Amino acid sequence: MSETFFSLNDLLRRKLQTALVIASLALCVASTLFLLLLGDKIGFGILSMAENRLTASFSTVFSRFITFASLLIFIVGVVIVYFMVFVMMSQRVRDIGLMKAAGCPNDLIFGYFMNELVIIALAGCLLGVVLGVVADYASGFLLRSVGMQVVQGSINLWLDLLVFVIFFLLSLIAGVKPILNTTRVESVKALSPSFSFGLSKESDFKGVAKAGLTLKLAVRSLFRRKSATLRIILCLTSVFILITVAVAGGIVAKQTTKSWVERAVGKEIILIAHHDVGNQYRLLLSKFHEPAEASAFNYADEKYFIPSEILTRLESVSGISIDRRFIIEASVEEVQVYVLGTETTGTTTVGDHRKGVSLVVGVEPEKALGRWFLYGESLDKDDALEVMVGDTLAQKIFGTPLVQNMTLLAKSLRVISVCIDPINNGNVTYVPLKTLQNATGILVPNIVMVKINDSADRGTVLAQINTMVKAVNPDFEALELDQTLDENLGLLDYMWSMIMFLPMFCLSAAAMCLVGYVILAINEQRQEFGVLRAVGAKPSAVIKIVGAQNLLILLSSWATGIALGTMITLLILVPEPTVTSYTVIEIAVWLLAAMVAIFILSLYPVLRFSKKPILSTLAQP
Amino acid sequence: MKKMKEKEMAIVASVLCKTYQVNEIKVEVLKDVNLDVEEGEFTVIDGASGSGKTTLLNIIGGIDKPTSGSIMVFDENIEDKNEDFMATFRCKSIGFVFQSYNLISTLTMAENVAFPMEWLRKPQEQIEKRVEELLDIVGLRHRAEHFPYQLSGGEQQRVAFARALANDPPLLLVDEPTGNLDTTTSLKIIDILGKLKGDGKTIIVATHDDRIFKLADQKLRLEDGKLVKRNE
Repeated sequence: MSETFFSLNDLLRRKLQTALVIASLALCVASTLFLLLLGDKIGFGILSMAENRLTASFSTVFSRFITFASLLIFIVGVVIVYFMVFVMMSQRVRDIGLMKAAGCPNDLIFGYFMNELVIIALAGCLLGVVLGVVADYASGFLLRSVGMQVVQGSINLWLDLLVFVIFFLLSLIAGVKPILNTTRVESVKALSPSFSFGLSKESDFKGVAKAGLTLKLAVRSLFRRKSATLRIILCLTSVFILITVAVAGGIVAKQTTKSWVERAVGKEIILIAHHDVGNQYRLLLSKFHEPAEASAFNYADEKYFIPSEILTRLESVSGISIDRRFIIEASVEEVQVYVLGTETTGTTTVGDHRKGVSLVVGVEPEKALGRWFLYGESLDKDDALEVMVGDTLAQKIFGTPLVQNMTLLAKSLRVISVCIDPINNGNVTYVPLKTLQNATGILVPNIVMVKINDSADRGTVLAQINTMVKAVNPDFEALELDQTLDENLGLLDYMWSMIMFLPMFCLSAAAMCLVGYVILAINEQRQEFGVLRAVGAKPSAVIKIVGAQNLLILLSSWATGIALGTMITLLILVPEPTVTSYTVIEIAVWLLAAMVAIFILSLYPVLRFSKKPILSTLAQP
Repeated sequence: MKKMKEKEMAIVASVLCKTYQVNEIKVEVLKDVNLDVEEGEFTVIDGASGSGKTTLLNIIGGIDKPTSGSIMVFDENIEDKNEDFMATFRCKSIGFVFQSYNLISTLTMAENVAFPMEWLRKPQEQIEKRVEELLDIVGLRHRAEHFPYQLSGGEQQRVAFARALANDPPLLLVDEPTGNLDTTTSLKIIDILGKLKGDGKTIIVATHDDRIFKLADQKLRLEDGKLVKRNE
């Protein structure tokens, strides 16, 4: 019999196990490829896209997240492949013992099973690439269907090939060791039931002696298969770390990045401005979620100044907060500074003389409605020579912004903070209003932000403001910014929901692994389950025992995975995370659902087994 | 082999047939088997290897179904009962002793004897007392905390007897109890069988061991799938 024929025949004889190994490998390949393709769309390319969309801080969070998830997926892939080959070989130990006893040489046995591995790796990796590309197209379709401008290019053959080759080689490398270990086993050992199934010796573990029969049998069987049990726990733990990072990280990062946007723009804010300025302002805000090129706009045109009558009348409206602003577009320049070295007495040069054009916003610090997420101090003096710069501007033209100055309209201003603000993709400079008025000589604001207090009737006040503004000058209008805010938040929602594809892939791969382990466990215990049933146990008793084993494995890896995953998320991935009680509940529900889903799937082999006639389970394998 | 007083019958099997299909080939293991066993009767069946002794015991115990025919065990028509009913029925009414002992490897001897009682949710104190009593009967109380792999074949077989008797079933089905044992150990097993006969249990033993036939009230043989009286 040729090696290939033997291998194919052997794989086809164990259809379910073969399908499981191929499917779990395919899911690992698919999730890695999908993540890389998604990253290509929204992740790794994000830094170069910062000019057109998002801001530097958002890009950093996404990039860090995607890089970390890729790394984790890769590790999980290796662990899963190793485990599945181990399971595959454990199911063949007895056959190998028989072959050896019949005189088959080691190198021929190794050849047979290496052939099986090559066939499985080839099929799994090919299927994975196809699945990854399909998932990428599906995500692109979903993103476009919600209005995002995602370019679906042609199939990235090089990336597909790279992932295929890496995982193919990885499968072979991870799989060789279990095959070598198994083929080296003496035939006497291989034929012994106490050696196969990963049992190195009979267990005399007497734990849980006082527990019920189901738990007692479950726990002791797990201890009996110590090496296989440890491997599946390790495998599932790494999967749960990844799921936690994807789910908890995704949710926390979503909440955090959304809160950055909400805090900067403000909720339920009404913008009062000339309708041209209003449109321009909305365009600047929407640059965060859709690439748009704003044409040159003269904000300092007198016709855009807010009429004093509007300002006076606004002040008489009760139940509102008013934030007067003056916005212009201006050239800004980094000021190079010299700082004293921390360990030497010498000085170090920080920065250069880089220039740029920024949106400059004059605000009254104590009346500003924005509550920016910022690094450094907030603006608090009306006429101080200080500025707060947006994160993209800070990254673009500053070395260490918080120790540097900026030249704006021939004035040197100290950079006191870097803020996260979606307007103009973070290319923004906030200056105290009086400082800007002194520099420009223009004393009238060109936009007014209004927030209706919670105590007031929003509908009535809004109607009152609208009527008043139109009555004074029909070219001016009161605009609600919530729609643009929602569009910005929507972008973040969809980007994070794309990343939620990951847990689903990993979840399926984890379920396959556990199913593989359960098949191994049932094979090992099949005769004993037959005896239990012959002596009077109902089929449901067998389901309970295996279910308890699965639950114990899942709970231990779930708890470890969540603990490590949460630490990684909160300490490494998301800076100053926004975690509310709702966030915690949402994460808990997701992770619980993930565990329940894997648990339910893992019961499939035992449900199938429990329907078998007692006699067939009593028979020797 | 039909007897007149059916109301005292423990087992009534009529025209039992069992056929296995292996690819294209049909193998008839049991052909029109009729068997009546009275309550408290000790029945011994022998026959060549593969003659169907184990199949007949499996059908009587409800872990296999006949291809045709009917079988009543303690007035229950067991061939049309579902798995859950049969599990409880076996647990309460039938004790099985397998040829290959079939103890649960992860349970100690005491736990192996106890678990059929746990299926019936008997109180823990009662279970512990009964386990001690049964291990005393088979002479293995001192090995109660040992695992199966720490015992010899004969000792495991005696524990298998203790497990079969856990719920004090009226019917005991014993498959080749001395098949794998040496002479000394076999005698201990035969001694246990003798005690159980004295206790009034209905016992069916499939065996080749002539020493067990000495205990028999009814001696039968399976020949070519048919059950016949065994000639002395």
